[in-house]
Amino acid sequence: MFLHQFYKMAVISFAFAVGSTAVYAEPVIDKPAPLFSGAAADGSTIKLDDLKGKTVVLEWTNHECPFVVKHYESGNIPKLQKEAVAKGIVWLQVITSAAGKQGSVSGETAQKLNAHRGATPTNTVLDSDGTIGKLYGATNTPQFFIIDPQGVLVYKGGIDSIPSADQADIPKAENYVSAALADLATGRKVAKSSTKPYGCSVKYAS
Amino acid sequence: MFNFRSLSCVALVLSSVCYLTAPQAGTVEAATEQVKARLVASVDAVHAGDEILVGVNQRIIPHWHTYWINSGDSGLPTTINYKLPTGATAGEIQWPTPERITLGSVTNYGYANEVTLLSSIKIPSDSVVGSTFSINAAVKWLVCEEICIPQKVDLALDLPVVPPSVNTGQGSPLIEAARVSLPVASPWPISLEHGENTLSLRITDKKFNFKAIQTIAFYPSEWGKVVHNAEQPWQVSSEGIELTLKSGEAPLSVGQNLSGVLAITENSSGGSITRGYVVNVTGQAAVVSNASSGESEVVLTTALLLALLGGVILNLMPCVFPVLSIKALSLIKHAQQHPKETRLHGLAYTLGILFSFALLGGVLIALKAGGAQIGWGFQFQSPLFVLAVAYLMFAVGLSLSGVFSIGGSITGIGSSLAGRSGYSGSFFTGVLATVVATPCTAPFMGAAIGFALTQPAVSLLSVFFSLGLGLALPFLLLSHYPALQRKLPKAGIWMDRLKQGLAFPMYGAAVWLVWVLAQQAGVNSVAIALGGMVIIAFAAWLYEFSKYSGKIAQRSGLGIASLSLAFALLGGYFGIETAPAAPTLAAKSSKNFEAYTPERLSALRHQGKPVFVNLTAAWCISCLVNEKVALSQNSVIDAFKQSGITYLKGDWTNRDAEITKLLAEFGRSGVPLYVFYPAGNASQPIVLPQILTPEIVTKAVGASLVNAAL
Repeated sequence: MFLHQFYKMAVISFAFAVGSTAVYAEPVIDKPAPLFSGAAADGSTIKLDDLKGKTVVLEWTNHECPFVVKHYESGNIPKLQKEAVAKGIVWLQVITSAAGKQGSVSGETAQKLNAHRGATPTNTVLDSDGTIGKLYGATNTPQFFIIDPQGVLVYKGGIDSIPSADQADIPKAENYVSAALADLATGRKVAKSSTKPYGCSVKYAS
Repeated sequence: MFNFRSLSCVALVLSSVCYLTAPQAGTVEAATEQVKARLVASVDAVHAGDEILVGVNQRIIPHWHTYWINSGDSGLPTTINYKLPTGATAGEIQWPTPERITLGSVTNYGYANEVTLLSSIKIPSDSVVGSTFSINAAVKWLVCEEICIPQKVDLALDLPVVPPSVNTGQGSPLIEAARVSLPVASPWPISLEHGENTLSLRITDKKFNFKAIQTIAFYPSEWGKVVHNAEQPWQVSSEGIELTLKSGEAPLSVGQNLSGVLAITENSSGGSITRGYVVNVTGQAAVVSNASSGESEVVLTTALLLALLGGVILNLMPCVFPVLSIKALSLIKHAQQHPKETRLHGLAYTLGILFSFALLGGVLIALKAGGAQIGWGFQFQSPLFVLAVAYLMFAVGLSLSGVFSIGGSITGIGSSLAGRSGYSGSFFTGVLATVVATPCTAPFMGAAIGFALTQPAVSLLSVFFSLGLGLALPFLLLSHYPALQRKLPKAGIWMDRLKQGLAFPMYGAAVWLVWVLAQQAGVNSVAIALGGMVIIAFAAWLYEFSKYSGKIAQRSGLGIASLSLAFALLGGYFGIETAPAAPTLAAKSSKNFEAYTPERLSALRHQGKPVFVNLTAAWCISCLVNEKVALSQNSVIDAFKQSGITYLKGDWTNRDAEITKLLAEFGRSGVPLYVFYPAGNASQPIVLPQILTPEIVTKAVGASLVNAAL
């Protein structure tokens, strides 16, 4: 008779179920990545499902966040984007800043910003209601999720190993994103598949 | 049209002001728009070979914050890079207890308003007297409100090196303030258990009463072990506290260490006190369930079984049985034609019962919660509670013996509701059954309720549901198997005999409880309890026969009955409250303290002797921690001995009136209170803060000694 255990589990599960609606889905490594459909900066609609057969990189970004600025001004992320796109990888920037909050821009402005910064992602997804961000549990900018051609999530986390806003730290740090992409390219399993992201918090609507 | 050029200008400006640097030469104080930083030390001068404390103090503008060692879902902890003279070393940052900062679904750990980050610095033993010990600190932090700004300042502090004979001074009071807010070692054992996707932190102490805790939160010092933005549900039981954490991205494996800070906020006089406790535990897998939780499981299952049994027996009570048999008869009529309908009737009846019991349980939980605020404790440690339950058992026994009966009018209303045909009729019959059963309690039910009151809400409700299920069971069975109604006994005098017979276990329970009361509150409490019972019996008898008299007699009878009942209850309350407390501190005269009495205090003051008064209570967490961390330390005990200070300890566990008076004198309504009366019979008492360190106590005691000597 484990009624006590049962009740305890029931209450805790319930608490977590309720709590989880606030926590939102947690994407799991080696499981299918959550599917989404979003509006792109160029006016089209992007569906993750349509991108099967290609490696997809999701980059959460906010052009005013000092940590994002660090990686764009130094050319770090634009270089990654260029190399990736050249290899046929689909690189999607995701802007999850709610309207009126830091980093929230229109599609046109987003494209202009990229042009100015020399950034060449495949496209930019505008997620101002935060649906995609909450689906992936995005908490930082910059934060990355890499999905393999079969639709399975193989990487989630930060860009590199030194959390700071100093450009000087970039060459000293281990770049997790390029390492993961290199692993994928050679058919290896991604060695460091879940790392600690660092950056500003994603500006969801409160 | 959006001007792109202006945006690029803004971007340029933003990036260039990204780092707000003070002039390279470092100063004691430096400020940015959001943070005023300064470098402080625990001394004004140093000796060669000393170890001192240095702190970076940040004063942050409202709504902004800086971060802890684990910043949480985002953010960056403050870093300090010390540049010291050759041979000197600096230790790691000692982080004060952080707080949770949430922005939507993102949770961070950090500090608002003000924080001082301490590091210990070792002065090289070859430092030359007369030279200057220069401390330089390059401090980097991330300060955020909603947006974040990384900032950097250079601070510097010069301390002269003095000969060993010269005093090094007091330094900055900010250092001591920071030390007080550092997490301390936990006074109770903390254990960890791995669950499926969860971690359970347990504080085990069967003697300590954790009911005064307002909130409890765990801050992991490493990213990934615990989900930062998840709720941390916690439960207080007789075993201690259990906190459930959700495992994070880099979950802890069995055998790995979980480190962090457990912050407990406790209700105290004049607000709440938060204190952090260091956690450094390795856990076991949940398969090894410890014996104590097994124990409480057994006790609960026994209670559930007893409650079920009690519910079934309730059906035999003369107040319930007639209702049941009427309904059963109408069942029989329909059973042949509509078996499905009959079953549904049975279910509606069961639902009616369960609903009423849930309501009862809910009322009790609300009472408990409300009572907890007022300071009741529904526990068998409280003599008042024991007395109340003894009275209850006795009154129920009287009712069963037939001295009085209650609930007649309620039954009337209920019958009309229950008379409705259809499923609502069955539902209300269920409610009615509960209503009439309540005064007519069976012996098992009383014990189960008494037990359930001491349990957390979930157990309480499950006991009540079990009771309700037992009550509904016979009818439910009948509705499914109408053939059983042939086995129903016919109503008769045997019901009354059974009811009267069941009074005796109730009297037995009352006797047992009076025995428990005697242990807790002394011999006199027995006289009070028994006297109260006599008065209750009198009131019951008066109530019963006044029912059948004329109006005036009825009113006066009722009046006298209620008065005597009130007298019994109040008399019991005051009698127990003022009874001398069971031996708690009495036999500890071998220790370094004496029990506080106002006479002793004034006698010592008259003699001009210095006195240190500590007012504490067994259920006060901060009191316990302060005693462990400060008052039991050798440095403090020695300081007391050296200065000839008498240490008086007042135990307010049972709310002693004289201690309440002393508390009121200092404008306090609760403990802890620490007062030092310096030497001299006209000296002003000094009140110490509610969070103590050994230094605070020795300084307060020593400083006034110096003053007295002057």
